Amino acid sequence: MSNETVRAYVGKRIKELRTAYGEDGISQEALAADLKVAANTISRWETGTYEPTLDDLERLSRFFGVSIVQFFPQVEEQDPKSKKVDALLRAAQSLHQDDLDELRRYAEYRRARSLQKGTKQRKRP
Amino acid sequence: MSRSEYYRQMRLLAGQIRDQYGLQTPRVLKSDLRRIYKDQGIHIDLWPYKLRKLRGAYFNDAEGASVMLARGLPDDPMIFTMGHELKHHLVDRDSIVALCDPSNQSAEIEIGAEIFAAEMIYPESMFRDDLLRLGVTMGSCTAEQLVALKRETKTTLSYAGIAKRAEFLGFAPQNSLAKVAWKKLEESIYGVPFYKQRLAARMHSF
Repeated sequence: MSNETVRAYVGKRIKELRTAYGEDGISQEALAADLKVAANTISRWETGTYEPTLDDLERLSRFFGVSIVQFFPQVEEQDPKSKKVDALLRAAQSLHQDDLDELRRYAEYRRARSLQKGTKQRKRP
Repeated sequence: MSRSEYYRQMRLLAGQIRDQYGLQTPRVLKSDLRRIYKDQGIHIDLWPYKLRKLRGAYFNDAEGASVMLARGLPDDPMIFTMGHELKHHLVDRDSIVALCDPSNQSAEIEIGAEIFAAEMIYPESMFRDDLLRLGVTMGSCTAEQLVALKRETKTTLSYAGIAKRAEFLGFAPQNSLAKVAWKKLEESIYGVPFYKQRLAARMHSF
């Protein structure tokens, strides 16, 4: 999948999540205000004109209460090592739940970075 | 391998890292650690979201090696945490994830990381020599002398780390330094730092 296709997919996901937010969705302006970005940035993300950074996607995922990897096209079977990471995080009972949640988010952030990097690398000849 | 032998190996490894990367003083900076991380191929992520007790975590899987660090940690704890996570990369990278919070500190792997980090920042032999040079004798070390040591050497090993080591090596009686308010003591001896004075003056003017 090319970088442009992924960018379009990410934009589509942002729009889907935004319009399905709460009962009536949330306007681009309101979302932009919450994320402290310019009002037209959301529009540019949704149309694929701008590519949101991973940090932008992390903030969006927190706003919508979803995993950051949901902004990327579904990938094939997860790498066995990544599955092991999930299992280890589940086993880390000594951690405070909030820290555990942050670690899981960080693990997903790394996965998203890998997915993003993958699409960019594949674009090169 | 016995625990003591394992810890000895961690100290040796810390010495090797100091030699390899030209660390010659007890003042190891974040820029030194960033240089080492880059050379080792470890990605650093400063995590801006609130963490309760967790200071850092080491991950190594299909996505590569990376370290999550709690953004906003003061310099000394940040440097120590970076040293701690570096040990996980050098020694425990096959374990994929190392979660470093206080509740996890009794595990051998975590104690080893603490020993490695402390030794990498301020080698025990250098610490011992510096204390003896300041005229500190076994069992007599005071909090004021440790403040003087930190001030003179400009070490980035935290007061907590210095105090723990002074007790461990027998320079100070066990638990004698556990409840010292280090920053307050430092300010009572050397005065309030300039940046704090300026901040206070600014607050006062409002």
